[in-house]
Amino acid sequence: MLEVENLSVSYGPVKALSDVSLTVPPGRVTAVIGANGAGKSTLMRSLAGLVKPEAGRIRMNGQDITGWGPEEVVRTGIALVPEGRSTIPDLTVLENLRLGGMWRTGAQRTASENRVFSLFPILEERKHLGADTLSGGERQQLAIGRALMCGPQTLLLDEPSLGLAPLIVTQILHLVEKMARESGLAVLLVEQNATTALRVARTGIVLNLGRIVMAGPAAEVAADEQLRHAYLGY
Amino acid sequence: MGSFFDFFLGGFANGAVIALMALALVLVWRSTRVVNFAQVGQAMFTTFIALTVVNVTGSWLLGLIIGIVSGGILGFIVHLLVMRPVRRADSSGAIIATFGVLIALQALAAMIWSPEPRAFPTPVPYEGLTLFGRIVPFTQYDLLVLAITILLVLILTIILTKTKLGLSMRASAFNPEVARLSGVRVSRMLAVGWAIAGMVGAVAGVLIAPTATVSPVSFDIFLVFAFTAAVIGGLDSLVGAVAFGIGTGLVLSLVTGYSDASNAAIVALLLLALNLWFKPEGAFSHHKARSV
Repeated sequence: MLEVENLSVSYGPVKALSDVSLTVPPGRVTAVIGANGAGKSTLMRSLAGLVKPEAGRIRMNGQDITGWGPEEVVRTGIALVPEGRSTIPDLTVLENLRLGGMWRTGAQRTASENRVFSLFPILEERKHLGADTLSGGERQQLAIGRALMCGPQTLLLDEPSLGLAPLIVTQILHLVEKMARESGLAVLLVEQNATTALRVARTGIVLNLGRIVMAGPAAEVAADEQLRHAYLGY
Repeated sequence: MGSFFDFFLGGFANGAVIALMALALVLVWRSTRVVNFAQVGQAMFTTFIALTVVNVTGSWLLGLIIGIVSGGILGFIVHLLVMRPVRRADSSGAIIATFGVLIALQALAAMIWSPEPRAFPTPVPYEGLTLFGRIVPFTQYDLLVLAITILLVLILTIILTKTKLGLSMRASAFNPEVARLSGVRVSRMLAVGWAIAGMVGAVAGVLIAPTATVSPVSFDIFLVFAFTAAVIGGLDSLVGAVAFGIGTGLVLSLVTGYSDASNAAIVALLLLALNLWFKPEGAFSHHKARSV
């Protein structure tokens, strides 16, 4: 299980995260919501090892992984789907998938590949095409597929709804929720679109200016009108 | 008309070697976005090593193999000692560093082997083949050069498109962040890229050596030709580097044949200027077409 303790991150003099503590339990979606600039992406990038924390601890299954690089973090079972379509347009769909988890055994990789194709059948149909031929929604599926190829216990999803039609967002998020429930995957979902995120999440965490201002059952967070007005702006 | 055909034929082997050198430049550019002006210096240095091996053992093949191995090691060393430390500098800093490496290697070679030009032997006769009853300017050695070039391009293509290592290298070049998130050790892939480029450059050096002489500066002119070919090909396209490498060889052969060898470099620079004027993104840049 991924555990974060008093995490702080700064970009030069700008404090992006202060004292953030959270856990990402298996079998469910945990949503982190907040306005633009609240530190959501910074949180995800520091958990994946792309940003070095200034203070605090990150632990995966009890092992301290604070300050590790992304290529090492991913081997502990944490896979990030970064913001924006994180696919490589110059590679084919299959190559994008096979890029994930190359350190794993052939059998593990084949199993993951089959699983990704059963979750996202469109990717199997298009596997020999260039990733640049996919639609926005298909690319997001490919990005999630690549992360799943790493065989994660914890999946970090950064703004999967960005630039996608609402219907497609709902489809993808429900698929992720189902995957978490059925296979025990721990999902940390970052979203600006709070309503959709809290609908599939069990726990909601609200970030504001780099601090956690509320954490609790998703339904409670969603029902808190005051909080909505103060931090989410609607 | 016989002469046109002859000049054309005479350019093939030279073009193949230019193609290899351009390939080495492209391999480094794709992974680190640096034009490695030291590439010819590295090739010169490893050709001296190969020559020493050939002189001691009498085996051309052993010289080639040792040359390739030392090319890989030298590429790795240059990456580790020079390019990694300057990777945070802007790209002009890195390019100037490659010039530094070139000059250092030339000085080192002059100290070890003396600046005097030497001859490099060929494994097969350097005599024109007889075609349709007459002798043409295409030798058995040229045939060997073409065969080795084609083999090398095939091997590289298979490595880059069919293996995990190749996929890791391509992904690291296209999008290092996604590659790292996928578990690829990108910094290792950059070192591998420099090593492979060093090996390809070493082959080019050994193959060109018998037609030129071997001295610390005798390969410099090939940098101009290879750079021209690589840039016209789009700098990140292996196909472009090979196609325009051979094309440059043919054009230069015609220029040399109809005018004078000393005009070759001027024509190469002219081609480069025309290319930058009319099609600055290069003919095979992956912004337009998929490149492998």
